Amino acid sequence: MWIYEKKLQHPVKIARCDPAMAKIIITQLGGPDGELGASMRYLNQRYAMPNDKVKAALTDIGTEELGHMEMVSSIVHQLTRNLSMSEIEKSGFAPYFVDHTVGIYPVDANGVPFSASTFQSTGDPIADLHEDMGAEQKARKTYDNILNLCDDPDVRDVIKFLREREIVHYQRFGESLENILDGLNSKNYYAFNPAFIPKKD
Amino acid sequence: MNERKTLLARLAACDFILYETALFLDTHPDCKDALAFYQKHLEMRKKAEEEYTEKYGMLQHKDYKGQNSWQWTEGPWPWEYEEG
Repeated sequence: MWIYEKKLQHPVKIARCDPAMAKIIITQLGGPDGELGASMRYLNQRYAMPNDKVKAALTDIGTEELGHMEMVSSIVHQLTRNLSMSEIEKSGFAPYFVDHTVGIYPVDANGVPFSASTFQSTGDPIADLHEDMGAEQKARKTYDNILNLCDDPDVRDVIKFLREREIVHYQRFGESLENILDGLNSKNYYAFNPAFIPKKD
Repeated sequence: MNERKTLLARLAACDFILYETALFLDTHPDCKDALAFYQKHLEMRKKAEEEYTEKYGMLQHKDYKGQNSWQWTEGPWPWEYEEG
């Protein structure tokens, strides 16, 4: 069960509107390495995990990612306040505007809607945790690219916070993978055995 | 049903009442009857929660009560099948 807290994990206060930047940053809501996919990946993977510590880590990180979705959406919302039609047209925001006005819809930077095919839940703890570590690095990469594209200190402050969380999550998933590997028989050094063993008829 | 499950069922009942009332209050924020109903069940919920977390541990991180180990990571998890 989830409970909503009426606050952001880290404050978002962006004085200057910038619809072109909003169009880029929205990829961290609905893009291939965004927070919506991250959250769905971890929360859906929990059920196949054999280890209680790993269940806890996926629950907590998946929950935090829901909060990060809200932070990314808050950035996009504040970057698109009080726009004139000429600002919308000149900034390249018009293609998003025509479908979604200044509402929030999970798309990538090219306007492609969110897809669950950007993540996996394999039922195999080793495969899933390797994906999770990769996913954190891919999200960190996107935040690094946003920092290269963005000069506004109000936006950069939030993006830097989110980037740092990717690094922490990567560390926790690395430890979770070690946890799973430690539970394997020493003959399974290359971690190749399937997680699913069918019941005999 | 064991005692843990009985206490959990009581919590779930209180929480459902609170949630249902909160939804009603979202569209009727000044309804005095609904506000009083919420208040009454909020107190019941607090008592049920205290009893549960005292005996069986954390429902959320902030239920931590100074133990030597982070009991949060201990099962059973809510999605797991339990006998009895």
